[in-house]
Amino acid sequence: MNEKRGISIAYYLMTVPMAILFFIFHTFPFLQGVFYSFTDWKGYGAWNFVALRNYLHIFKDKDVITAYLFTFKFAFFATLLVNVFSLLLACGLNAKIKFKNSLKAVYFLPYMLGTLIIGFVFNFIFANVIPFWGQSLGIKALSINILGTKSAWYGILFVTVWQSLAFNTLIYLSGLQTVDKDVYEAADLDGAAGLKRFFAITFPLIAPFFTINAVLCVKGFLMAFDQIMAMTNGGPGMSTTTISVLIYKRGFQGAQFAYQSANAVILFLVVVSISLVQLKVLEKREANLK
Amino acid sequence: MREWLIQSSSSKVKIARQEKSLKEGKVSWTVTILLVLFAILFIVGPLYITVVIALKEPSDMINVMALPKKIIWKNFFDAWRMTDYPRKFLNTLFITIGNLGFTLITNSLAAYAITRNRERSKFFNMLYFYFLSAMFIPFNVLMLPLVKQAYAFGIDNIVGITFLYIIFGLPMNTFLYSGYIKSIPIELEEASTIDGATPFQIYTQVIFPLLKPISGTVAILSFMWTWNDFLMPLIILSKPNQQTLQLSQYVFQGQFSVQYNLAFASYLLVLLPILVLYILFQKWIVAGIVSGAVKQ
Amino acid sequence: MKKTKRMIAMLIASSVASAALVGCSTPKTVDSGASGAAQSGKEATGKKEVVLELFSSKSENGEILKQLIARFEAENPGVKIEFIAPQDAGTVLKTRLAKNDIPDIVAMGGDATYKELQGAGMLEDLGNEPFMANVQEAYLEMVYRLNKDQEKAAYGIPYAANACGVLYNVDMFKEVGLEVPTTWDEFLDVIRKLEAAGKQPFELTFKDSWTGLPMWNAMAADLQPENFTNDRREGKTTFVDTHQEIAEKYLEVLKHAQPDFMGTTYADGNKNFAEGKAAMMLNGNWAIGEFKKVNPSFNVDLFAFPASNDTNKNYVISGVDVLFGVSSATKAKEEAKAFVAFMMQPEIAQEYVNNQFAFSAIKGAEQNDPTVAGIKADVANGKVANFPDHYYPSGFDLAALLSEFGLNVSIGKDEKESIAELLKQCDEKYNTANVN
Repeated sequence: MNEKRGISIAYYLMTVPMAILFFIFHTFPFLQGVFYSFTDWKGYGAWNFVALRNYLHIFKDKDVITAYLFTFKFAFFATLLVNVFSLLLACGLNAKIKFKNSLKAVYFLPYMLGTLIIGFVFNFIFANVIPFWGQSLGIKALSINILGTKSAWYGILFVTVWQSLAFNTLIYLSGLQTVDKDVYEAADLDGAAGLKRFFAITFPLIAPFFTINAVLCVKGFLMAFDQIMAMTNGGPGMSTTTISVLIYKRGFQGAQFAYQSANAVILFLVVVSISLVQLKVLEKREANLK
Repeated sequence: MREWLIQSSSSKVKIARQEKSLKEGKVSWTVTILLVLFAILFIVGPLYITVVIALKEPSDMINVMALPKKIIWKNFFDAWRMTDYPRKFLNTLFITIGNLGFTLITNSLAAYAITRNRERSKFFNMLYFYFLSAMFIPFNVLMLPLVKQAYAFGIDNIVGITFLYIIFGLPMNTFLYSGYIKSIPIELEEASTIDGATPFQIYTQVIFPLLKPISGTVAILSFMWTWNDFLMPLIILSKPNQQTLQLSQYVFQGQFSVQYNLAFASYLLVLLPILVLYILFQKWIVAGIVSGAVKQ
Repeated sequence: MKKTKRMIAMLIASSVASAALVGCSTPKTVDSGASGAAQSGKEATGKKEVVLELFSSKSENGEILKQLIARFEAENPGVKIEFIAPQDAGTVLKTRLAKNDIPDIVAMGGDATYKELQGAGMLEDLGNEPFMANVQEAYLEMVYRLNKDQEKAAYGIPYAANACGVLYNVDMFKEVGLEVPTTWDEFLDVIRKLEAAGKQPFELTFKDSWTGLPMWNAMAADLQPENFTNDRREGKTTFVDTHQEIAEKYLEVLKHAQPDFMGTTYADGNKNFAEGKAAMMLNGNWAIGEFKKVNPSFNVDLFAFPASNDTNKNYVISGVDVLFGVSSATKAKEEAKAFVAFMMQPEIAQEYVNNQFAFSAIKGAEQNDPTVAGIKADVANGKVANFPDHYYPSGFDLAALLSEFGLNVSIGKDEKESIAELLKQCDEKYNTANVN
């Protein structure tokens, strides 16, 4: 429609200034970052062009590879757990229960609190509260700070899931509320019940919501940063160092800005490709389910 | 990456019927009890610990979980003074409110122009994908160049950071608004165009009022983002009197050391405004956060 | 249309209002009684005041610096000093470097960050200032060595020196009847006796991974081959070939730490130590102030880490803990120099070192506190070595490797294997980091 009519200048006024500002303060710095990834810039002062040296170096750098492996592992489990638990929680909250609104409000609360402070609070709980119980109950596994063990990442996983559940639950909940009761009634006639009913009927209907949640989760968790800085600073050893944490620690605290910029460019490519693949696969499956 | 906005087939009538049939069913006590138990253990529990520690004195910390023997309000006054709370609070408030207001206007305007012209103009379609792809750029790559840029433009202060938030929110907000705007029938606008209204008039008189649900979502998301962010303030704001609440928690972490009571009192002071807002508008927030993104 | 206009007007009004509020509220950084007095004295004068920014990279000396600033402000009406000491000082300073917006005055360690700041030409040469006469040569030399091309120019004025070694609970040593060990064998004996008496020998705080470094430094300074730093940089030697003994002794210490040493933070560990839960801590004089906050009457002292059986080799590790620098771009150079001159007065320096349990780089100020008496003679006689890790490349994250080593020891992994892995990793990561 209206193919031929020119587009009013007003529309350009609505977007172009914002797009220019966005370019100046977001895209241009990004391009600069990409540019510096081909140099040996330290974040200030003079620099030299080094072509692909930084990129070639990355593939020889064990720390980077370790960090990627950890990031993938973390993103996978966090996405899985967040989706499983938020779906469960959403089903629970969607059932016929008492105190529905109060419960919803309580479960949504973690979303409102800043990751940094949540990290500090759980840091204390892991370091001083749980070991206190562990020792008085004589449970050896619980009597030390989990963040100082090989299992430190479980602690971070827990806090991440704890905080991310809220938003995802809400999305699933609104998804469940769109499922028509008539569908269930029909299913009941067919004798489908319980889990079978869930997978046969409910899940396909809320699959689009699963797509959103999964894509947003993976994207967010691949860039996990705040909670790790607040809780373990990447330790013990390198065991909880995600790529974002590594880039920050080496690029800003260390003197490898240009090198870590190259790393960040690779992270960008990884995140984009994973998200695109995910969308394609999930959308296809959705279509099949329908 | 097309339709994020999900429109279900069910109409309001059906929802109403669903609710009615739910009311007729029996209350599931097992589910209720499980949900209550988990809520107490995992959500009320950590908050309880936070509050209790903030109210205790150091000598009363042997059993952390126990109620305080004596309530020490002084912790809050000390934390208030130590972190210069009032100033940090006003800084944060300024950034949050400023960002909120301008984001709602400018971002929805941009999204409106983009969505309505994407199909007939390559330029607007390109802009759409330009903003969307920016969502995947890790902040790490542009951090240091951004600092330089901000300084060059003289915006490394609270007014400037507010401005940066408005700009940086564009990708996510374009995407949210765009999905919603698409669902608004274009006939409304066409009628107004025939009446001689300009696009700006159409936007202010017809579109913006219709955007209320999604604006609610955007408002809550922007508010939470700016209130809780600390990395951007860390790198952009260099003067101590410009720090935000989150940043000041980070800065003071070393000075709190083992004075956990003081530290937790300080955390609570930061959480408090949010908690109060949440308790007051809880229903609206929980409903509002997805109402725009997920249409029923 | 009207509605929107009203809304926009409201939004603008509210942001302006809160801006006004932000602008109006007077800064209330009254952290001590002293600064309050200074403030009220100043408000009366209507003259335009000069505001300087003092950036400190340490969190431990914030209190005392603020007190001294208040005194300076009282003596110099019209000059106001804003003090900042952010948590992540290195990062913050780096962003400031990127902006070319260096604080007027910096108070920082003689470390890699100073090297960067100086190398980027951000600091003023203060060599001709009269207060230079107050500074001890030896420490000035240390700073010169950090300058680009080891230039002999005073871009940073050393103010206080730190010392790292073994912090010990004097009362507990007396109780068990122990002498201060001067050799590795005596040290092992002390550990045995402490354990026999049912005491925890070490409190370690590996949750904050940097705390693994002081102990490594203490041992490496005593035991590493003479020209290791240069040879390693040029690839003539390796950690695997030279650091076996250091790693073995490091592991020995780890075995006698409290069970949860991997999960204990620096703050919690300091508290536990000050409460008498362990006999020794491997850290530096900077932690003493933290102990005293928890337990003001805590009886603590320091001795040089006896890593070797040759007592001549057991150095106290000491470096420049605080140096002052003035930005070459500051608009108020005279005022900034006046502040540095103020700090350089022996009485002021004395007050600073008393508060910080640090050693003074200023002539006429001496550290006489019993808490560091154990190493005072060594420091005075120059039996000190600088921190070996200051000479490693800056991308080489030794703290993370030591933390991993600690983790392996804590889960009971084979000792030989853990040591071999640590040293191999040291070489690998050193090589990776040596590029940039």
